[in-house]
Amino acid sequence: MGKFVAGKFLQYVIVIILMVTLNFLLPRVMPGNPLVFLAGEDVGFMSSAEKEAILEKHGLNDSIVQQYGTYLKNIFTGEFGFSYQQKRPIIELLKERLPWTILLSGLGLVLSTIIGVLFGTISAWKRGTKTDVNLLTMFMFLSAMPSFWVGMILVSVFSVQLGWLPVFGAESAWSNLKGMDRFIDIVKHLILPLTTLVLISVTSTFMIMRYSMLNVLGEDYIMIAKAKGVKEKVIRYKHAMRNALLPVATVFMLSLGFTLGGATVIETVFAYPGVGRLMFESVLSRDYPLIQATFLIITFSVVIANFLADLIYPFLDPKVGRHNG
Amino acid sequence: MSTVLSVEKLSTFFRTDKGIAKAVENVSFSVDKGEMLGLIGESGCGKTTVAQSILRLIEYPGKVVAGSVYLNGKNLLKATDSELTGLRWREISVIPQSAMNALNPVYTVGDQIIEAILLHDNVNKKEAVERTKRLLELVGIDGERWKSYPHEFSGGMKQRVAIAMALACNPKLVISDESTTGLDVLTQAQVIALIKNLQKKMNLSVILISHDLPMVTSICDRIAIMYAGNLVEWASTKEILNDARHPYSKALLNATPDLSNSEREVISIPGSVPSLVNIPTCCRFHTRCPYAFDRCRQETPEFMEIKPGHYVACFLEEEQNG
Repeated sequence: MGKFVAGKFLQYVIVIILMVTLNFLLPRVMPGNPLVFLAGEDVGFMSSAEKEAILEKHGLNDSIVQQYGTYLKNIFTGEFGFSYQQKRPIIELLKERLPWTILLSGLGLVLSTIIGVLFGTISAWKRGTKTDVNLLTMFMFLSAMPSFWVGMILVSVFSVQLGWLPVFGAESAWSNLKGMDRFIDIVKHLILPLTTLVLISVTSTFMIMRYSMLNVLGEDYIMIAKAKGVKEKVIRYKHAMRNALLPVATVFMLSLGFTLGGATVIETVFAYPGVGRLMFESVLSRDYPLIQATFLIITFSVVIANFLADLIYPFLDPKVGRHNG
Repeated sequence: MSTVLSVEKLSTFFRTDKGIAKAVENVSFSVDKGEMLGLIGESGCGKTTVAQSILRLIEYPGKVVAGSVYLNGKNLLKATDSELTGLRWREISVIPQSAMNALNPVYTVGDQIIEAILLHDNVNKKEAVERTKRLLELVGIDGERWKSYPHEFSGGMKQRVAIAMALACNPKLVISDESTTGLDVLTQAQVIALIKNLQKKMNLSVILISHDLPMVTSICDRIAIMYAGNLVEWASTKEILNDARHPYSKALLNATPDLSNSEREVISIPGSVPSLVNIPTCCRFHTRCPYAFDRCRQETPEFMEIKPGHYVACFLEEEQNG
């Protein structure tokens, strides 16, 4: 097991080195003035001394090898540079935005997986019945709706018409709530974006689970379990669902990697201060250092999620890995 | 000899988009204590449906529409769910078609055998583990391997595990449903020899479902031949070999190569099996039968005893006997 983990770890270290190097090289091979990249379009109004100062500050007058060394050092110390649009260090922005994204996208992923798995199981178990057909129709309908539209409908009904929930943001501004009150405030702000996220992403899990469960139910070992006299519930959950979950687990792990990238559309509709919206804003204002940093965060989290998946998968599927027990 | 299982006029139909598929119709046979019955026929003739009907495993869109299945005098088709749970695996167990898939890939083989033991016998986990090890040894697998997962075994070994599992609760009757499919010929022979050996040792009743006529004739006491959902002939192996009456049985024997007599020509059966969906009343073999006459196309021949213990469903017999 130790050997297996070490081997996998080494693989991912190599992937990360390649990735970081690419991230370093990309802006340097892109056409255009590096000054524009660093300081934005305002560069045209700068004096040559100011330009020189910027180049010097970012070490762009050093050799490429020296630049690479500095770049690596900066990444390890969390120094991602400066967002000229927001006039703040990028690391500060990320620290501020990441918790909200983890809350919204992480919870959204967990909830939609649980709901999708439960209904997928029921649907497959009752294949061809009214329950199955109704569930299928409902989930197909949900998946056909665009997320911004669902978000706007929810806002107009629950926030504007009924006035039950706040319209936007992650918590009330300038309210200075503490403890339980702040928690309730955050939950209230979370309900609509979370519901939207779950509604539009639950169908894929439902479909995968239903299909996978149907496949498993046709297997001989399910028939044998019935012939053995195993109770129906035990067959459904212990024998069938346990096997049918494997593809869902794979998809879950893959999606986990992308959660740190946030849910751009939903965060934008609800003006939710997550990484997705930060990225959207950075792209709009061509805030290159910020774009680069958010991309790096996403790639890191995808690699880490893959590594986790590699570690967890042998426990889910005995056929995979775990060579040394 | 006492009868362990008796199947009487069993019919199992499936609802399909095109109509009712009469997968099994009017099938009757019985199995004695310690007997090995070979149930043979080509693919799709309803052998597995018969097995699943006996085991009460037919599910929508299929349905057992008529008949009865008596296991030691108790009608399985009328048993309640709790009665059925009590009977399963203790009285009747199954080695499934392609036993390669009989084992759940995410649990150890031991866990799966122990599950059956703990469900039906009042023993603790430790005793169940001990019994599991003994069962594995019985089929020629190291008992310590009960902790292994199915994928850690070869095909033939999985087959043996499936056999060990079928014997876990000392059943009276074991149904082996083409359980050597997918194995190479040598392994097949070993597995069949193992089943025969255990059957003798434990005085089991076995229904051996197969399409391999030479194999069945070499180890079974009696043989039942199915064609397109009907039983066409049922007799002792000796009777079948020496005095097969049904044209399909004869054709089947002629279509099998004979190693001791290489001169004999192997004759295939022309035509193909009719669709079982909305099949009209007739002898289902008439489309391929060289002796078919008008009556065969309009009526279904009765499955009747033409001499003690020899049953045939063919109008030729009726005509001959007046």
